[in-house]
Parts: sequence; C-alpha cells; structure tokens
Amino acid sequence: MNKRLAVIGLGNPLRGDDGVGPWVIAELTRQGLPPGVTAYDGGTAGLDLLRLLDSWEQVIIVDAGRVGQEPGQFVRFTPDQARWSETRDTLSLHNMGLSEVLALARALERPLPAIVIFGMQPGDTDWGERFSPAVQAALPTLVRAIREEIGE
Amino acid sequence: MTTLNVNVHHVTRVEGHGSIVVDVKNGEIKECRFEVVEAPRFFEAFVRGRPYSELSHITSRICGICAVGHATASLEATEKAMGVQLTEQATLLRKLMFHGEIIDSHILHTYYLVAPDFLGAGSVIPLIETHRDAVLLALRVKKLSGDLCAIIGGRHTHPCALTVGGFTHTPGERELREIQARLVDARADMDASVDLFASLPWPEFERETEYVSLHKDDEYAFIGGTVVTSDGFSYPIEDYKQVTNEECVPFSTAKWTHHNRDAYMVGALARLNNNHDQLHPRAQAAAAKLGLRPIVTNPFLNSAAQVVEMVHCVEDSIRIIDELLSRGVQPEAPAPFKVEATEAVGSCDVPRGILFHHYVYDEDGICTRANCIIPTNQNMANLNADMKVLLPQILDRPQDEVRHLLEMLVRAYDPCISCSAHCLKVEFV
Repeated sequence: MNKRLAVIGLGNPLRGDDGVGPWVIAELTRQGLPPGVTAYDGGTAGLDLLRLLDSWEQVIIVDAGRVGQEPGQFVRFTPDQARWSETRDTLSLHNMGLSEVLALARALERPLPAIVIFGMQPGDTDWGERFSPAVQAALPTLVRAIREEIGE
Repeated sequence: MTTLNVNVHHVTRVEGHGSIVVDVKNGEIKECRFEVVEAPRFFEAFVRGRPYSELSHITSRICGICAVGHATASLEATEKAMGVQLTEQATLLRKLMFHGEIIDSHILHTYYLVAPDFLGAGSVIPLIETHRDAVLLALRVKKLSGDLCAIIGGRHTHPCALTVGGFTHTPGERELREIQARLVDARADMDASVDLFASLPWPEFERETEYVSLHKDDEYAFIGGTVVTSDGFSYPIEDYKQVTNEECVPFSTAKWTHHNRDAYMVGALARLNNNHDQLHPRAQAAAAKLGLRPIVTNPFLNSAAQVVEMVHCVEDSIRIIDELLSRGVQPEAPAPFKVEATEAVGSCDVPRGILFHHYVYDEDGICTRANCIIPTNQNMANLNADMKVLLPQILDRPQDEVRHLLEMLVRAYDPCISCSAHCLKVEFV
C-alpha cells in the first residue's frame, strides 16, 4: 500500500448524514483515484483512528461536523484552525471521534501526518440510511472539492 | 436528613447517551434510576428487504466497538438458516478475530474509562502525565488487538472479509507468526494489567442476581453454544425469548429484560461466573489475584472480569494460531449453502454480554423479519436494581461522592447505549 496520501471517511452510514464520510470514500473508489492515493472507509473507528493516522504522510479527512454552517455546506480546515469542543473532564473515549483522537495524540506528543479536514454540516443524523435533501444535493460539490485537494 | 439531587445527563465516558436521575428529599428516595434517552432502534427496518449476503455488513455498522460481534452473530444466524457447515479453519479464524475484538474493547474500557475513576482523573488525558506507562500499555495492546482483527477481517473496525460460509480473505502464515510473537510479548502487559487492577480499591457492594451467558462444554464460550443462567436454567439459543422476556418501560427507549428474577446481568462477570473453570489457567490465576471467585456478586468487578478475559483471549489466541499453523493455512472458498425460506437465531457473547440476532428469510434469501437484542438492554433492569440497593447504603455521603459512585456503577456495565453519530463539533479560532 502506498503510504503517501489517504482520504479517510469517518461516520456511521446507518445514521443519516453522519454517513457522508463513508459515502465519499465509496464514490472516490468507484470513480478511481490517482496513483499514490488511497481512499479508506474509517467508519466509526474511534481510537483506531490514531492507528490509521500513523500510517500516512498526508491525510484528508471527510466527516460530518457541526461547523456552524447550513446543512450541506462544508468547511475545509486544518486541526490548528479549529477549537475542538472537548474538555478534559467530559471526554467520551469509548467511541471517540476525531477531536478526541487528536487531543490524545497531542497529549502523547505523537507525530501526526499533515491533516486537512472537510467537515460537512449535517441536517439529520437520526437512524436511517438516507441523506437529508440538502446534504444529498451537496455531495457532488464535496467530492469535487476533495479531488481538487488531492491535486487533480 | 439527607437531601440529594443528582442529575447526570449523558454520563461521561459511556458510549451514547444515558442519564442518572436521583432525587432524595429528607432521607426519602423519590427517584433513583438510570434512563436511556436514545437507543439503537429501527434495527429491523435496516435489514428488512435486504439479501442474506448484506446483513453481516450492515449490522457490523451498528457499533464501532462491537462490529466483529454483530457481524459474527449475524453470520451465525444466517449460516444456521442456510445449513452452512463452516470448515475447521474458518471456525478457528472466526474465534481468533472474536478474541481480538474482546481484547480491543476490554482494554479501552478498563484503562480509558474505568481506571481514571480510581486514579483520580476525569479522563485518560490527565493520566498521560500521572500514569503515562499505563496509557501507553493500553495503546500498545489496542494496536495489537486491532492488527489481529485486521489481518483476519481485512479491515479493523468494520470487517469486510467475513462472508456467509467463511471468509473472502485468508491471512498468511507469516502474518500469523508475527502477530503470535506480539501476543506472546503481550503477556508482560497482561501481567502488569492484572497487578494494576488488583491494586485498585474497588467499591464494596454486593447484590446477588441471575447471571446469563452462553456456555459450551468444550471451551469458554463466546460464539454459539447454549444459553445458561446461574440459577441453573439452560436453553437452546432458538429459545432466547424465554430468557429475555422484553418489556417496554415508560422512562427508557431501551426495552428491559428479566428471566427467573426481576433482572439479570450479562457481560464479562456473568461469563466468568458461569464458565470460570473453562478459562485458561493463566486467566484463572489472574481471577484469583483479582479476588474473583464465582459467584462474584459485586457488579463493579465486571471491569476486573474484563481484565481476566483479556488474559484468556491472549492465551487462547496464541493457542489458536498454533493450531492454524500446524494445520497449514490455505485459502478456502466459502462453504456451500442452500438459499430457502427459513429462519434462525444466532448468538455471541460479545464484550458487553450475550447478543441475539434473529432473522426470517424468504425463498430468495431476502430478510423479511429481524430481531436483535443487545447486551446493554439486557443489563438495564439489573443496573437499575443495583442503583436502588446501592443508593440507601451511600446516602450519608457528600452529593459529589454519591454521584461519582453511581457514575462508576453505570460505567462498570460498560453500556453501549447508542451507537451514536460521530459528528465533529467545531468552533473556529
């Protein structure tokens, strides 16, 4: 496996718009990727994300996120541009998300790859396999933006 | 007279969302319960109308921690329905992968969720400063168990190589040898874990209940077998509803279960209580060191039983790999099966306890009905019964201490209340 660049999609496809990450991975795989780029469905990897991040020089993460936008709008950012909402005392680690994994990595002083995050504002994350209309409509734009980030 | 008002919304370090509600006025307990505000629902809706070949992949997405457990229980049901006889190699690989997930889940729960309660930390992050070696040990073991799952399942969190009749991928002998060497090395981490958890001041609390788990005559049961209880009952898996007797309760979206008593407990402690003698000798020694002599009736010790099971799974994984290597590992086509209108129940004892998947298939192998009973729901009535006994015993303590002990009790059950969405919450600087 080439270790240069990975696109990692996070989320649960059974939870409506939370499934954006895995959907993007399936779509990128279907369309095909340039050499040296791997698309990886991280699902609800939790702490295993730390293991995954260790494996690449550069990582693009796609995840549903409350990024202060309208549903279907997305934000491209790097970890140092974000103030994650975790606090020391309420950290839920059992099924950790990206913010907790990054906090742990920083606290352990583990080297991390260069990370770019695409966070798409979800509309509905209740149980179900359908995207909300706004997210559904925005998916092609998200995929194009990720392809641009890959450098195509 | 004591007046307490404990209202913990969304207990931290518990998967999903659950709330503790305690209301004590002048020494009289008005309210004392753990309520679930969100639970896995619509399970049937996900799988109804889907072909047999997709079910294990869909259900493995229910939970990121028990993905292998759900997939394995799902395949148990489908394979029983379709008359599949797994090969010996496939059976060994399924067991090995299951052990990987037990270790994976237990190491996270014991070190990152339970240990902070004892080591005076609100979470694992401050532990990095005070108990760095322990945090790194847990990460090391977590990586090992994740790699063990990945070489068999093709991918760790949501295994893709599991299929009806066997596997679509076979690990190589070199991969197995490498992971076995790491498992042997992990014995030192297991010994250190037993010492650490044996040194913790576990809360003193006893409440006798009924313990329900799988049982097999020839091994410590995780996959298949019969359903047994510590009250002496035994049922074939197909008769699971005679054990679970699900009922709705008004303040919880999770259905409660009861069998011979008002409540029963499932999970590592139930398995240890029912099947202690089948644990690997090293795991039995660990149990003795941790003070676990069946029948153990302190629910806080469920986490200690998880440490024992980690030792067992490390040892049994080493043994299984020996067996695989001496047989020779060969790529195999999935075992043959017949698609027909049928129904079956599959069961595994996953990290949090006994899990049932029940499917009805039509003649084309399309799932027309399904039922899934998860361990956490089965523990709800028992957890609430524990709280009702524990609270009067600790009423004279400060409110913060009462809250902390109740939270610890909830965490001891390692509840997976909801396989939640994993949205980021981001503010920009």
